[in-house]
Amino acid sequence: MFGRPSSAPSSADDFSAEALQFLEPLFATAMRLTRNRADAEDLVQDTYVKAFRHSGQFKRGTNLRAWLYTILHNTWRNRRRDASRDAVDVDSEQVEQLAAGGVGGEQIETPERILMRSTLDADLQAALDSLPEAFRESVWLRDVEEFSYAEIAEMLNVPIGTVMSRISRGRRMLYEKLSPAAPVPAQAAGGRR
Amino acid sequence: MKATCRRICDLLAQYADGTLSAAEHGEVQRHLEACPPCRVIAGKESGGRQLLRACADRLRAGEVPPTLRSRCQELSRRSAASHVWSRRFVRLAAAAVLIIFTGSLLSVVTRHSDALLAAQLTADHVKCFALFGPEDGRTLDAAQAQQMLQERFGMDVHVPPSSASGGLELVNARRCLYADGRIPHLMYQANGQDISLFVLEGESRPPAEFTSLGHHTRIWSRGDRTFVLITPASEAPVAAAARYVAEEAR
Repeated sequence: MFGRPSSAPSSADDFSAEALQFLEPLFATAMRLTRNRADAEDLVQDTYVKAFRHSGQFKRGTNLRAWLYTILHNTWRNRRRDASRDAVDVDSEQVEQLAAGGVGGEQIETPERILMRSTLDADLQAALDSLPEAFRESVWLRDVEEFSYAEIAEMLNVPIGTVMSRISRGRRMLYEKLSPAAPVPAQAAGGRR
Repeated sequence: MKATCRRICDLLAQYADGTLSAAEHGEVQRHLEACPPCRVIAGKESGGRQLLRACADRLRAGEVPPTLRSRCQELSRRSAASHVWSRRFVRLAAAAVLIIFTGSLLSVVTRHSDALLAAQLTADHVKCFALFGPEDGRTLDAAQAQQMLQERFGMDVHVPPSSASGGLELVNARRCLYADGRIPHLMYQANGQDISLFVLEGESRPPAEFTSLGHHTRIWSRGDRTFVLITPASEAPVAAAARYVAEEAR
């Protein structure tokens, strides 16, 4: 009956409850980034520690999900930089050009045939995990999490053009891994929406 | 790779997403029809996206380890608790600043100044809500508060009760430490805003109003009692409640 701050949920409570709703997709993303369950758990926990500590910096009404993913990726980037472990130079020309060559006269399997495979989920996860990190995270954020190019660019702190190029090449590399020496020519299937 | 092919390839991510403009989409399509190597690249790109989109829900639905879930929930609880304390700390800091400010005024303003009285009691208002605010949602019965003030402090004061129509709740009743602890301090909340009523015995002052330090102070007297009502500076959300307290005070 009376609007009392002590009886109504506080804004800190609201923030925490809403942030915790993204635990599952954040963990799945952390698994793709780290490729290791224990590291993924640590990464997600660190992400929430930072999110709760800096909740005052989050602008109400903006995209909490994108904010949490940005923290997750920043945390991961800092951790990689600090540890210099299994380093992947995400911006090197070499990595960017990994998927650029070898297209002349190739033939590939259709997506429909690949989707019929009983082992698809495991194959797809393995193919994703084998992509260089720069491509893996961009493709994941776009095609699995459906973030916009601009959101991904902000999360990864790279220009939009780089995001597009990584997504493009990551998709192609993924498809090649799932379609080795297949006999059927591809139908270029660009959709409109 | 030709310059045209390179340009088309730069558009393939958006082509596969279906986010190109109609003109660009048409341009890409016409090029792909005429250029087999680019058609293969576009096929792979669209194929990669199709596969990921088809499996996205399953890829995203990784089971969260129960220990991670409980650790994150614990972090959330601790964070909410620390926010309560940080809010209290901010209010305490504000109270401390006000007390220092009013203390410094004491040396230059006479003790009968309305402005000084308003500043002193505003400081007490902020301090008391910071220290004794209703964090647990407790409310107080006016008759019991009146009896408590009488028995513990010998204060004979009428306590305006909570009012549903004014959206007002009595949350605490204390003895204000100013003026040798002779002033009853009645603490209310309305629409989540803090309101204080102070009653000064044996004093009569002409009506006065002040807005300072983020609060509005109204001073008036009835007989030999002076009342000081303190509300937030933007009074609109508590206007009805403030009117009610003013009318009930006697």
